[in-house]
Amino acid sequence: MEIKVTVNGAEKAASVPPETTLLSVLREQWGMTGSKSGCEVGDCGACTVLLDGKPVNACLVLAGQANGRDVLSIEGLGTPNNLDPLQKIFETHASLQCGFCGPGVIMSAKALLNKNPDPTRHDVRDALAGNLCRCTGYVKMIDAVMELAANNKSEAA
Amino acid sequence: MVITVKDGAATDTNTPELLKRADADIKLPAAPHKPGSDLQTIIADVNQQTPAVGQRVVRVDARAHGLGRTEYIDDMTWPNQLFAKVKRAEVAHARITSVDVSEAAKMPGVKATLVGTEIPVNSFGPSYQDQPLINADKVRHVGDPVAAVAAETEQQCIDALKKIKVEYEPLTPIFDAIEAMKDDAPQVHEGKSNIYASKQIKKGDVEKAFAECDHIFEDSFNTQMIEHVPLEPHASAATWDVNGRLLVWSSLGRITLGRADLSRILQIPYNKIRVTATIVGGNFGGKNELTVEPILALLAKKTDRPVRHVFTREDEFLSSTTRHPFFMDYKTGVMNDGTIVARKIKIVCDGGSYCSWSETTMGKGCILAAGPYNIDNLEVNAYAVYTNKVMTGAMRGFGAPQVCFAYESHMDDIAHALGIDPLEIRMKNAFYEGSSSPTGQQLQSVAVRESLQMASERAGWKEA
Repeated sequence: MEIKVTVNGAEKAASVPPETTLLSVLREQWGMTGSKSGCEVGDCGACTVLLDGKPVNACLVLAGQANGRDVLSIEGLGTPNNLDPLQKIFETHASLQCGFCGPGVIMSAKALLNKNPDPTRHDVRDALAGNLCRCTGYVKMIDAVMELAANNKSEAA
Repeated sequence: MVITVKDGAATDTNTPELLKRADADIKLPAAPHKPGSDLQTIIADVNQQTPAVGQRVVRVDARAHGLGRTEYIDDMTWPNQLFAKVKRAEVAHARITSVDVSEAAKMPGVKATLVGTEIPVNSFGPSYQDQPLINADKVRHVGDPVAAVAAETEQQCIDALKKIKVEYEPLTPIFDAIEAMKDDAPQVHEGKSNIYASKQIKKGDVEKAFAECDHIFEDSFNTQMIEHVPLEPHASAATWDVNGRLLVWSSLGRITLGRADLSRILQIPYNKIRVTATIVGGNFGGKNELTVEPILALLAKKTDRPVRHVFTREDEFLSSTTRHPFFMDYKTGVMNDGTIVARKIKIVCDGGSYCSWSETTMGKGCILAAGPYNIDNLEVNAYAVYTNKVMTGAMRGFGAPQVCFAYESHMDDIAHALGIDPLEIRMKNAFYEGSSSPTGQQLQSVAVRESLQMASERAGWKEA
């Protein structure tokens, strides 16, 4: 089937078998390997992307379901010299260890802050609940998101 | 150094000035200590703590991780690459009577197949080489490899695996490590006892101390099998260059060991193998030995193309190492005031179907089994045992967490029974600076007492 998806602001097209997932079309056809494949059954969250602004497991979304919609993946957040504030604060807080869960975690945190710029710690934990980190570095991730939200709030004030 | 002969005596005239000075005389410059500066050269002063301790540093890989630009093997591609998949046994214990890959070989996209008999030396393992790469004679756990295919796509591999016909003659499986120690238990490795490693520690006279102590406590503790579940599944790729050199990329944590194993398995010289360690998405001890790398090398040889393989999450659970279940019996002799005078421990490590790092894990568990306590009379006996389960190997702590669960639970029970505060009974028995470990190591930098004290204060133990 033919699909057209807006990925990180750019129009992308592909011709794929109907069983193709959004994750595999991103990784294998469009060369965006930032979204990781950890389990392929929606358990680990390493493939989290934003579909029309909402966090989804790209391994559970068929490429056809993304047709005509808007996808934001980790590649669309920042560049080495122009990091997204979340990428920056994850770096300074040493929030990522092996890094494999990182892109998914950052995308989930992005979705949260877009919707709720002043989250409670519980909100952050809730937003990251679908992202597994086997290095178990959750505390530093939550700290980073909380600090970014606090910084944003003090700048706005 | 140049020696010249002058007036009949050898004199060293050309020794550089620095080498003539004793090391103790050399004064290194004090390290610049400027917290907050972006770049800092860290030079250790002699006998001084380096200024790195206590400072914040930014991980060198942090930016790539956050940008999603870190390249794990699954993110890499090789020109003209093929995919590989492994057919795994669906029975726990059986003799293989035939493996027929002929139908699979005819499937669309399939470029090569591989069975165990095609592997030059079909065994590997960090302690004992008891594990086949692809089983040819019998399978010892559900998930044991029996054949492999390489094809143009992963889906074509999966379809081809279904066409591989394996015939088995079922054997009685043994799943219980204690039962597996009996003389008449089914043998996981034929002709060999299921008890494949053991260790004993003896100190003092436990029986005499048991006879003289005020109380004896006995209990049993078991722990469960645990899979590492690294977020990045095991991944590897192999190809051969035009000069006949094998190139391997792997998420393997011990590439030097892997290289030696590859050399032995494939019967090619060590210097004809290059293993590249890629960035690993979580190891935790589970990526410390080969998995399919030699299989990929042989498939790559057959097809003259690069071959890559990534474990599915199911593969991880079926056929990667796990943490050993431990069965632990403790008997402890205690005086009325809580002083431990004797301890006897028996540990059975369920090793699963292959040794992997069992010997090391059992050894470390054995040494640490008595806990950080001064016990004059001690006896520890530990055994590693084969069962028809997925192999157990290294995982964070190499046996230390299992025994810690046992000796600390046992300690709480003793404290409760004697009406002694659990903190107090630990302080009474804990190691001091210079205490001897059960194997006679003189311990230095012993901070167990201070740690317990600080932890109890911070946790509000006394108030609770």
